[in-house]
Amino acid sequence: MKLFYYLLFFSTTVTYGQTVIRGKVMDKKGKPLPGANVFLKGTYDGTTSDQDGVFYFKTAEKDTATLAATYVGFEISEKKVELNGKEVSHNFFLNESANELNTVVITAGAFEASDEKRMAMLKPLDIVTTAGAAADITGAIQFLPGAQRVGEQEGLFVRGGSGQETKIVIDGMIVQNPFFSSLPDVQQRGRFNPFMFKGTSFSTGGYSAQYGQALSSVLLLNTTDKVSNNGLGISLNLASAGLNYDYATKNQSISAVAYYGNLKPLFALVKQNVDWLHEPEFKGSSLTYRLRPTKNGVLKVYGMYSDSRLSMNSKNPSTESGTTKLDLNNRNAFMTSTYTDQSADGKWLLNSGFSYSRNKDNMTFDAINFDRFDERTQARLVLTRVLSGNNSVLFGGEAHAINLQNGVDGKLYYLKDRYTAVFAESEIYVTRLLAGRVGVRGEYSSLLNRFNFAPRLSFAYKTGKFSQVSLAAGQFYQNPDYRYSYLSKNLNFERADHLILNYQIIKNQRTFRFETFYKNYAQLVREFTGIAFDADPYRFPWGTTNNGGDGYAKGFDFFWRDQKTIKNFDYWITYSYVDSKRLFQQFSESATPTFISNHNVSLITKNWFDKIQTSFNMTYAFTSGRPYYNPDNKIFLADRTPAVHNVSIQSSKLTSFKGNLVIFYVSVDNILNTKNVFTYRYTADGKTRYAVGPQNYRSFFVGTQIMLSKKAKVDKNDL
Amino acid sequence: MKKLLTTSLLTLLSLASIFAQNEKYVEAMTSSIALLDKVDKAKNDPVELQGIANRFERIATAETKEWLPRYYAAYCYTLMGLSGNSIVEKDKYLDKADGLIKESENLVGKPSDEILIMKAYAAQIRLAADGMNRWQKYGALFAENIEAAKAVNADNPRIYYLEGSSLLFTPEEYGGGKKAAKPFLEKAVAKFATFKPQSSISPQWGKMEAEWMLSQTN
Repeated sequence: MKLFYYLLFFSTTVTYGQTVIRGKVMDKKGKPLPGANVFLKGTYDGTTSDQDGVFYFKTAEKDTATLAATYVGFEISEKKVELNGKEVSHNFFLNESANELNTVVITAGAFEASDEKRMAMLKPLDIVTTAGAAADITGAIQFLPGAQRVGEQEGLFVRGGSGQETKIVIDGMIVQNPFFSSLPDVQQRGRFNPFMFKGTSFSTGGYSAQYGQALSSVLLLNTTDKVSNNGLGISLNLASAGLNYDYATKNQSISAVAYYGNLKPLFALVKQNVDWLHEPEFKGSSLTYRLRPTKNGVLKVYGMYSDSRLSMNSKNPSTESGTTKLDLNNRNAFMTSTYTDQSADGKWLLNSGFSYSRNKDNMTFDAINFDRFDERTQARLVLTRVLSGNNSVLFGGEAHAINLQNGVDGKLYYLKDRYTAVFAESEIYVTRLLAGRVGVRGEYSSLLNRFNFAPRLSFAYKTGKFSQVSLAAGQFYQNPDYRYSYLSKNLNFERADHLILNYQIIKNQRTFRFETFYKNYAQLVREFTGIAFDADPYRFPWGTTNNGGDGYAKGFDFFWRDQKTIKNFDYWITYSYVDSKRLFQQFSESATPTFISNHNVSLITKNWFDKIQTSFNMTYAFTSGRPYYNPDNKIFLADRTPAVHNVSIQSSKLTSFKGNLVIFYVSVDNILNTKNVFTYRYTADGKTRYAVGPQNYRSFFVGTQIMLSKKAKVDKNDL
Repeated sequence: MKKLLTTSLLTLLSLASIFAQNEKYVEAMTSSIALLDKVDKAKNDPVELQGIANRFERIATAETKEWLPRYYAAYCYTLMGLSGNSIVEKDKYLDKADGLIKESENLVGKPSDEILIMKAYAAQIRLAADGMNRWQKYGALFAENIEAAKAVNADNPRIYYLEGSSLLFTPEEYGGGKKAAKPFLEKAVAKFATFKPQSSISPQWGKMEAEWMLSQTN
């Protein structure tokens, strides 16, 4: 009986021994946080803060306990309290946890398109849907800030750099032949389908020590990790027909693509400025295999092969007929495999890759052999150690074996280069608002038999909730154009020094970005021929050479994008200014090179009509006049071409046919039929000038993509 | 005799306290689930849901071995991901949901149909926040988790409810629409009719929603 009283006594004390706990939950600045969870750790006792951040609850717990407050997006805060019936009062000031919005990112020079990074300025889809880009990645990138448009050549011309100063990199591996084989005065497309990539980062300078061999810019493309669409797809358009097939299981997937194209039907409809003897005809295929062998490991193997042939009469004023017959048969193979993984605790990341590319051009000019052959084998390994507080350090290396052959006037020249590089880089977050990236890269080229050492540095500081400034500086080396090395064996690397200052603000689906830069060129290759300047871009450099050239490029660019003001309407405006002079190649004095246009403007609009599932996109591009060589002008490269204007539109409609997704698209390039001129050339006697313009003026393109997707189709049998 | 009595009494007492502890857990869960059931699913008021999520999280911190409090808190945050004001805010809730799902997954330690379904649901809400740009990644993640849930327990009605609701809000061009959704929702409703939850506090949500959506397909 005594025990019973004991128990009764015990339980009554519990009921009456309650402690009141009250207080307020705020952020560091004292702003109340409503909806915060306040509780005694290890018990059920607690409450939710009210709209003023105030909380109040009672507890029957005794002795000491831990009072904690949590709030979404904030770090937990704890306080040891004494529970003895006396009221406990405590105010919490919570720290915001690090997230993409409150942590600075190093952005100087980089322009990203990504689905995963919320601060990216573009989405991968934006690249594909840009009018005037013809679903070509570099075609879309050339509308971004820092890029200059050069209509008669392929490549990305960035901030006063030539097309060769930009390297295209897929999953860390340099792509040897990113474009279809170069032709006289005809711009070529990229070889890669934009849908292959989940992310694109376009660097206009000051890029990471992980990459090299590019004086101006790198375009980093990352392939997708898995297929999104299981099934067969058919693509049909005025130029080609293709099939693609995707199949995925839990840990592996495969994608196969095959296509055949012939531009004859299109060229019959769109008037050509080029005299085609055999319209471009191409066929190719690719195969991708992805495997997840471990929890975080991803193996990707991608292989592609393509074969294209064409024949044309190329303008050549030095001959009697004024033209030269050109025949080209290109065969290109590219294989790349990458393996990425991370340790179980996520502290070590591994990126490795191996790739091989082989390219053969069987080319004749006026029936004389101008064959080209190149081959590149490369291997790469990068290890990253993730440290606390966003800090990281990485180190790695790469090795390339490059073999080249070039036929000139029937004579074959050979070259081989063994290029190796090692690099280390660290990202350091001093605070969430201030971060730096410090990197070094060392390179060796067997062809030059020289080493180089390139430091890279960038900083970023968050100036406000939505804005930040960044600064990047660094040295960048590149082997001289291999054409110079066939005859000359004593050349050195060419060098560029970058200094970039960036400001950006991203707020409420509106983006503003401003960047200004200064670039110093040094050790550029000069050629001494002893005769007058030869403006033929396809000439073989037979003169003596040295690394005595130099130059500069300076300017600024801005980008404004607004996705908010008008519903389903998105537009962006880009303006790039560059001023540049160089003493290089055959230049006898410093001058602005022919690929420089001082002003580039683009306006891109995207309109989505939900009801009819149709997009309507427009691009206007303006490129100011560029220098061209006039043998009659005493002042070297003083003449300017007229400005280039281009308005393009593109529309696509989504619809379904028997449960399969069908996309129709139609595009019109140069809708105003402007007779644009890219450059002028002169006959050998210097008397007659002729214009080099686009392959065609106004042109149109229609096509369809059908996805016979298993997943999109609902079948009773699936249930 | 007295000693025996005391011993047995003490034993009984300690047993009772264990039961009481369990009873307290079940009671706290039951009352919180009742609050969650009362939430107007057409509105999904974030203030109301935050309070309920906080209750589940409090239970979770006390009951370090139980996966259900975390699961229900994740469900609250997923619903908040539906009603957030901006993509950023929605993602904030869904990030929180993902973390809680991961915790409950680690506690169960083997594939659970309910957790896989919650993963699919969170992916679906994530997709809904920015369909044009997200269908590729989150559409695949949704499908992947639905398939995995089917492999564990193909009789779970919530699988078909989510498949049906996903199709209902997918444009016909992509193979969605009312006609496509209907058979899935019918199947969900049929499965709900025979569904037996493992315990009184095991997941039971979705029946009303499935019935409402089915009524919208006509």
